[in-house]
Parts: sequence; structure tokens; C-alpha cells
Amino acid sequence: MAHTEPQTAQAAAGYQPRIVAFVCNWCTYAGADLAGTSRMLYPPNVRIVKLPCTGRIDPLFILKAFEGGADAVLVSGCHPGDCHYTSGNYHARRRWAIFRRLLDLTGIDERRLFFSWVSAAEGAKFADLIRSVTAKVAAIGSFEPANPARRRPWK
Amino acid sequence: MEMIATLRADAAKLLSEGRAKLVIGYQARGMHRAPLFVSDPAKVDRLVYDEACKQNLAVYLRKPEVRVKGPAAIVAPPAVMRSLMVLASETQLAEATVLAVDTNAYHGVLDLAGVAALLKEKYADLAPPKELFDELAKLNAMSPEERARFWTGQFAKCTRCYACRAACPGCYCLRCIVEKNVPQWVSTAAAQHGNYEWHVIRAFHQAGRCTLCGACEAACPQGIPLMLLNLTISEEIAKRFGEKAGYDPAAKPVVGSWKPGDDEEFIR
Repeated sequence: MAHTEPQTAQAAAGYQPRIVAFVCNWCTYAGADLAGTSRMLYPPNVRIVKLPCTGRIDPLFILKAFEGGADAVLVSGCHPGDCHYTSGNYHARRRWAIFRRLLDLTGIDERRLFFSWVSAAEGAKFADLIRSVTAKVAAIGSFEPANPARRRPWK
Repeated sequence: MEMIATLRADAAKLLSEGRAKLVIGYQARGMHRAPLFVSDPAKVDRLVYDEACKQNLAVYLRKPEVRVKGPAAIVAPPAVMRSLMVLASETQLAEATVLAVDTNAYHGVLDLAGVAALLKEKYADLAPPKELFDELAKLNAMSPEERARFWTGQFAKCTRCYACRAACPGCYCLRCIVEKNVPQWVSTAAAQHGNYEWHVIRAFHQAGRCTLCGACEAACPQGIPLMLLNLTISEEIAKRFGEKAGYDPAAKPVVGSWKPGDDEEFIR
């Protein structure tokens, strides 16, 4: 895990948000793929991590992304009823509902955590989602130095 | 006084009749109250109970070193009774012999069904003190940056002694996530990121299971306000799913079950 290098100070003009997206293999990743093969343009600020299912997304993944310096995290999977494993997204939905509240209390507020359902047919929705998430995060700026989960060098 | 005499007599009876080989209760050590493990019916006079008995004794029922001495009977005030319900709902406890006490009542020897009925009848509205809600409201009124600063300051005190985990009846995993090191998910160094992750994930792993007994916060030698985390989760679960942990021995886990109509207003 080579994410220990200190973040360089953001130059106001050149600031680019770093967004980590955890997506499921069957819907949102396929949706992202469709956006790409359809030549839809969306900002390159999002790093996509593909997982078998949203049900596989441990809350620790989200913490790890913030620890590594993400400005925001996006989690996306199949619409309710569409889960490849029948109920993974229903389980995930309950988990997120509680976890986002806990993160909000501890200082990772709701402006830095996004959830969505994007199906394999929704390439346009995916591109639109990334555009809007990137714009929102760019508007509030870097999560440094407020990020309470950030890995920092020993003092 | 009469109450404690009856409790002691019941404990002695359980031990001499062989219904229990061990009674887990409280003893007085000066101003302090400590757990007492008694297996000799002649020694039950050391058992005490008063409002100073705060520790959650249910934590011992899952400890292997206690289980080999069992079957155990347990002195249980309402907070401990609720933990027993959680353990039963998670199939960690098939049956229990419970000496059900409260500061001004003794309810006799009960089994799990008896405890469930007693909780519903007499203790249905157990809640943490009002001051805790006030403190949480104060925190929620802050900006996210202020909250982050508040918690960074609190977590900075953590020495990673894991007393919060050891004191919690819900933390019965033989191998905790923080001990899993291939890969190392949660840094064990007492530094900012590891402390943040530990406290957030500890609280989250109790989601839907925490009965707000306060044992974790009471055990913390650094005075970190862990109950604010626990209360936030419990309140969210009550609001969204209408569940309150520790009343139904057959309850389904809140995280781990689902309904098609669960609210998803935060999902785009």
C-alpha cells in the first residue's frame, strides 16, 4: 500500500478532487463500461474499484479510501431487485444507512459520501453521476487537513 | 437488605442443588464493585447488589475460561438482561439461569423466556441518561470540521488497550478484525488513522446489537465518550428500522437482514 506519501498542498487553480468509487461487477461497472464504449465524456477524477457485489463492500473499504487521502467516496451497485446474487444490495443498503450516519458524526460528512444505483444499461446515468459528484467535491474542495481518517506521518 | 438475603439464598440453592456450578455476581471492594465468581454455596454471602454495580457481567458468559467452570448462573440487572437477549438472539446462549435484580427489587430465578417477559413488562423503556442525548445534540449542531476536530482530539487519547472490547458482551469474536493482519485492515499503532478506524469499526460492529449498557465507556481508562458513537447508531436504527436491541431473544439481526421497502432517500 503505497499511499503514505504526504499530500502536496493544493494549488487552488489546479485542484483536482480524488474520488474513489466502489462499484459492483454486474451493474455499475458494466454501466461505466457502457459509458466508455459509448464515448461519453466524464471527468477522470474517479478511481474505480470493482467488487463482485455491493454486499461485498465492507465499511472498512470506505475508511481505507479516506485513510489513503480520498476527497470523497462513491458507492454504487445494482438497483433493488436487480442484484446478481438476489439480495446483496439490500444488505448493503441497510449497512450504508447506518454507516453514513456514523461517519457524519465523526467528521466525514455527507457531502463526501455518495451512494447510487446504476444499472448496466445506464451508461448515461453513470457519466452524469461522475460529472455531478466531481463538480460537488470540487466545489467544497480538498478534504485536507480536516480528514479525521487520514494516515499521517509519525511525529 | 431482605432482597440481598433472598438473592444469596437462591444462589446457594442453585449451587447446592447442582443447577449451577458457578454464580457470577458482584462483590464489594471498599467503594468499588468487582465481579465475583462463586462456586461454593457457603461463600454466597459475599454477593452484593446496589446501584454502584455497573459492570456488564454478561461478558463473562462467552469467555472460554468461564464456560469450562459452568453451567453458570448470573446476577443480572436490567442492562445485563438485555445483553442476554442479544446473546440468545445470536445463538450464543441456548439457555441461562438468571438471578434477576434491580436496585429496588429482586425478581427471583428466571430462564431466558422469563427474562424476556420481565423486560417487556417492567423495563420496556430503558434509555441512557438525558445528559447523553444533550451532549450528542451539541455535537450534531457543530460543523463537520468541528466534529472531526472533536473526535481527532478524543481518539488521540486512545492507547489501544481494547478495554472497550473486553468489557462488551457483544464483542465475543474469538478473532477480532483488528487482530487480522493479512492484510492489516486496522492499524494497531496508537496513531490517528488506526484509532479512527478502530473506534468507528468497533461501534459499527455493534450496530443493531448494542444495548447502550455503557460498559465500553465505563471501561475506557482514557475517558473517550464512546457512548456518543453507540447512541448515534442506536438512534438511527430506531428511526429507520424501528428496532431496539435486547428485548427479543428471537430477534433477527438488524444488519444482516433487510426489507424490500427499506428507506433509501440517500441513494441516487
